[in-house]
Amino acid sequence: MIKKSSLWILAGLLVLVSCVKPPVDPVDPNENTKPKISGTLEIEFRVPGSFLPPSRVLRADLSVAKDAESLYRGHFLQMANVYNSKLVYQFDLAPGVYYYQAGIICIAEGDSCSAASFPGGKFGMKWAIGTTEVKQDKTTHVVPQFTR
Amino acid sequence: MTAGLMVSCETGIEINSTNQDVPIVYCVLNSADSFQYVRLQKTYLIDQAALEFPPDQDSMLFTGEIVVTMERWSAGKVIETIRFTETNEIPKDSGFFPSEKNILYMAKANIVPNQIYRLYIYLGSKEKILYAETSSLGKLVVIDPLPIQERKISLYSGNNYTCRWQPVANAGVYQVVLRFNYKETVDGIEKIKHLDWPQTFASPGSDAEYLSNDISGSRFMHILQDNLSDGSGITREVIGMNFQIVSGSMEMKYYIESTSPSEGALMEKPVYSNITNGIGLFCSAAKIDVDQLLLSPVTIDSIAYGQFTRNLGFLDHTKDRDSTNNL
Repeated sequence: MIKKSSLWILAGLLVLVSCVKPPVDPVDPNENTKPKISGTLEIEFRVPGSFLPPSRVLRADLSVAKDAESLYRGHFLQMANVYNSKLVYQFDLAPGVYYYQAGIICIAEGDSCSAASFPGGKFGMKWAIGTTEVKQDKTTHVVPQFTR
Repeated sequence: MTAGLMVSCETGIEINSTNQDVPIVYCVLNSADSFQYVRLQKTYLIDQAALEFPPDQDSMLFTGEIVVTMERWSAGKVIETIRFTETNEIPKDSGFFPSEKNILYMAKANIVPNQIYRLYIYLGSKEKILYAETSSLGKLVVIDPLPIQERKISLYSGNNYTCRWQPVANAGVYQVVLRFNYKETVDGIEKIKHLDWPQTFASPGSDAEYLSNDISGSRFMHILQDNLSDGSGITREVIGMNFQIVSGSMEMKYYIESTSPSEGALMEKPVYSNITNGIGLFCSAAKIDVDQLLLSPVTIDSIAYGQFTRNLGFLDHTKDRDSTNNL
């Protein structure tokens, strides 16, 4: 009798344990490892050399838009966080044609930035704008070209 | 004989022993500030339920002569002696403990990197000297973010931000704190508000060129959802974001570890203290603020129309609210 009731308790416990759901993290930890259902735009963001020290001309902006008007109006699809230490940036996008812009900023003092053709002197920016096509399951590689 | 019987019949038990008046000292040397502060209090004992009756202000403070000094040592010599003076210029937060008189000890002193600092506190009422020692930190250099507003921060689902800094000499722990600034309008009344989001503590790596902390864009959206109230009549506008990068000495690391929740079978850990003849903490910290950074238009639109935050009443990057534009 005791053995039978013990078995029932054990079985009940097993059912209870199996019914406990593991806690669900609202943030998907595998967000960056999801299978791709799109193409990739890979932008090699090179900062053009000048007579200014490299630490005075920095990457400032890298944005992608669906068309030229959206780019002009600042309605971007994606914007990358740009860093001094990172050269290549990737965007996962649905297949199609996209516009991109890359911006560099001059942070040198005095009239150095104006002399290097950055409009407005310190904190002046130069832009490189282009268009490219992203294909399904392919990586499109572009290198923005800045004017001297 | 009757007196003897009365004495032997005493059945009362003294639950509390005499209060030992143990000194409690807290001092975090801040290399980002030109003033340093020491907080000195003592343990207290009351005969009532301690959680229901807050102590008197005076029962938490020492009386009599108190001398607080600090020495800066380098190459085995005292380079500088700093004397602290009593002040009550910093108000204490209201709460369980009395807050009308917040006595601290203050000294004007810039903390020199990579030096040894020794703290001495003489308590005249107890004829006792408290002592503690710590090393000041090296210079904290932040790599990302740079204080450039044109370099906007993108933080939304699928897009994280990496904060980087150079390892600091003598540091044992680091933390990045994000402050999200926004304007809230309710019934025509505007208020500038902020939401602080501390990241988890980071420990120094070995021989790393730089240390980093990845800040999750998805988590950021959930943090906004969890901490801001939604409701009709509330309009919010994104202002920007501040980053605060803090490094703490080894003593701070040990203190944080000793006060963090236990994970193993040992549920109660002794709280770390490096104060001789007392309890508390004497340590050093370095801090850098990168303020007034702007969020990217995509981030602002994600906050305005994203699945987790769309009910919080944020305007999009055009300062508009177009309900048809659900991302």
